[in-house]
Amino acid sequence: MTAEKKKPKPGWRLYLPRLLFLIPLLAVVWVPFYNRIPPELGGIPFFYWYQLAWILIAAVIVMVVYLIDTRVTHLTKMAEDWETPGPGDVL
Amino acid sequence: MNLDVTATAVFVVLFLFVTWLGFVAARWRKADLNLLHEWGLGGRRFGTVVTWFLLGGDLYTAYTFIAVPALVFGAGAIGFFAIPYTIVIYPILFLVFPRLWAIAHRHGHVTAADYVRARFSSRLLALAVAVTGILATMPYIALQLVGMEVVIGALGFPTQGLVGHLPLIIAFIVLAGFTYTSGLRAPALIAIVKDALIFITVFAAIVIIPAQLGGYGAIFASVPKEKLLLPTPEEGSLGVYSAYVTLALGSALALFLYPHAMTGILSASSGNVIRRNAALLSAYSFILGLIALLGYMAIAAGVDKDPAFAGGFSLYGPNFAVPALFLASFPSWFVGVAFAAIAIGALVPAAIMSIACANLFTRNLYKEFWRPDCTEAEEARMAKIVSLVVKIGAVAFILTIPHSYAIQLQLLGGIWIIQLLPSILLGLYSRAFNAPSLLMGWATGTAIGTYMAATQAFASSIYPLTVFGLSVPGYAALYSVAINFAVTIALAPLFDYMARRSAQSAGL
Repeated sequence: MTAEKKKPKPGWRLYLPRLLFLIPLLAVVWVPFYNRIPPELGGIPFFYWYQLAWILIAAVIVMVVYLIDTRVTHLTKMAEDWETPGPGDVL
Repeated sequence: MNLDVTATAVFVVLFLFVTWLGFVAARWRKADLNLLHEWGLGGRRFGTVVTWFLLGGDLYTAYTFIAVPALVFGAGAIGFFAIPYTIVIYPILFLVFPRLWAIAHRHGHVTAADYVRARFSSRLLALAVAVTGILATMPYIALQLVGMEVVIGALGFPTQGLVGHLPLIIAFIVLAGFTYTSGLRAPALIAIVKDALIFITVFAAIVIIPAQLGGYGAIFASVPKEKLLLPTPEEGSLGVYSAYVTLALGSALALFLYPHAMTGILSASSGNVIRRNAALLSAYSFILGLIALLGYMAIAAGVDKDPAFAGGFSLYGPNFAVPALFLASFPSWFVGVAFAAIAIGALVPAAIMSIACANLFTRNLYKEFWRPDCTEAEEARMAKIVSLVVKIGAVAFILTIPHSYAIQLQLLGGIWIIQLLPSILLGLYSRAFNAPSLLMGWATGTAIGTYMAATQAFASSIYPLTVFGLSVPGYAALYSVAINFAVTIALAPLFDYMARRSAQSAGL
């Protein structure tokens, strides 16, 4: 924790974007809402296409939080400096 | 069933290719494989792309590809709980594990038990974490063999008797060989081939098979109505609804606590690699959703009524649904590709799981309790040997014990592994917890979770909890870990107080 103390402590507001993760959780937690057949999409019952669609929306939400962390609040960047990654961060 | 020569030839060629790749992997990013973090964690140098393949190959196993559609085929909508599960796992990966990676990287931890040992200065708690990890993973490795056995059987080989077991034994000797020489580099490299084959197979399946069956509308129309949706619960019970959600949440919380998932995470080159993968890995989730639909395609294709597949279904049950669907829908050569994808999909996680068990045994049992001053080379050698022993154990297990036991043990494994959540999670965010309270929580959670499964005769992990007269059937792992948390949080101040008292009375 020593390296962390050298930087100004990130305020709790910086972690607020992570509350977006509640959205996909709430979308799937209430089963009666999506346990139905209409409206169908190309013959696929609502139960199935609704959940498949939320996989994609959840992926976009994680990406958005990552970008906000990196670009706006610099949280990820601070973590990166702190972690000192090795070479080959991409491959 | 007759042996399908074309499919077998394609299957064998692809298998030989990945065998070669597994041995060559020892020279990939060349380093001293006589060091445990090089052999067992690939030197912690895997970037975003390799980690994507490695974690994908790790989490979406051959057993997943066989069992999820088999559940949808046999039981219908409940099998789709895999979808909310994959939706929830990535936020968890994003929130928790970059932090754990950073701590493990700074202190050179190779396993979760290493971290717990250092964080709470408790050998006993680390022992509990290590033993739980090994016990929960062993049946998981055995289940990979079940997945492999089904496709070998579907190619037309007999899978009964000693001769019948030969293909499986050969496959595992190959697996043991390249894991021993190349360590984590082998599954990381093979995972790339595995995924290429899986993606080709799945995309072919979701385009070609619906075209043959008259489109998705026709597929869903042929599914019996009672399978299409979850049954509406009776008065005074949340029925299948609460079972569905708790299965998804409990499985998601347990996933990254498994030693093989931890190994995949710790081998990343930075916390950012993990964060990026939390978004990018959802491509796999989507594939999993499509794979689950294969169960309905098998119903629509009527494979269970085809006399050609009667033998397969009587041997393997619903697990034969996907192989039968491929045999019915694809030309022989492509059946070979698809089955190779599933078999290689068993090799990758089996390799990572055996490496993870070996790391745990060597670091947290052997070095901790028998040879505290062993050299780094001895440590790596020991891990390599243990990885062999683990695989021999898994093969012996699957050949001598009925498969239903492996499935029941894997079900128990999920209940046991989730009990590590407080030890790993609470320590990352707070200093208010101590080893004795975590140990008490772990013991209580494990005992109650096991008891809940025992009341269901180990056939189901859904426990019918009753709250104020309302029946809430749910995943025993989630209920028992809640008790684990409650015990830990309640006892922590008490043990803190006792520790302070004894320190004072000792005059400190």
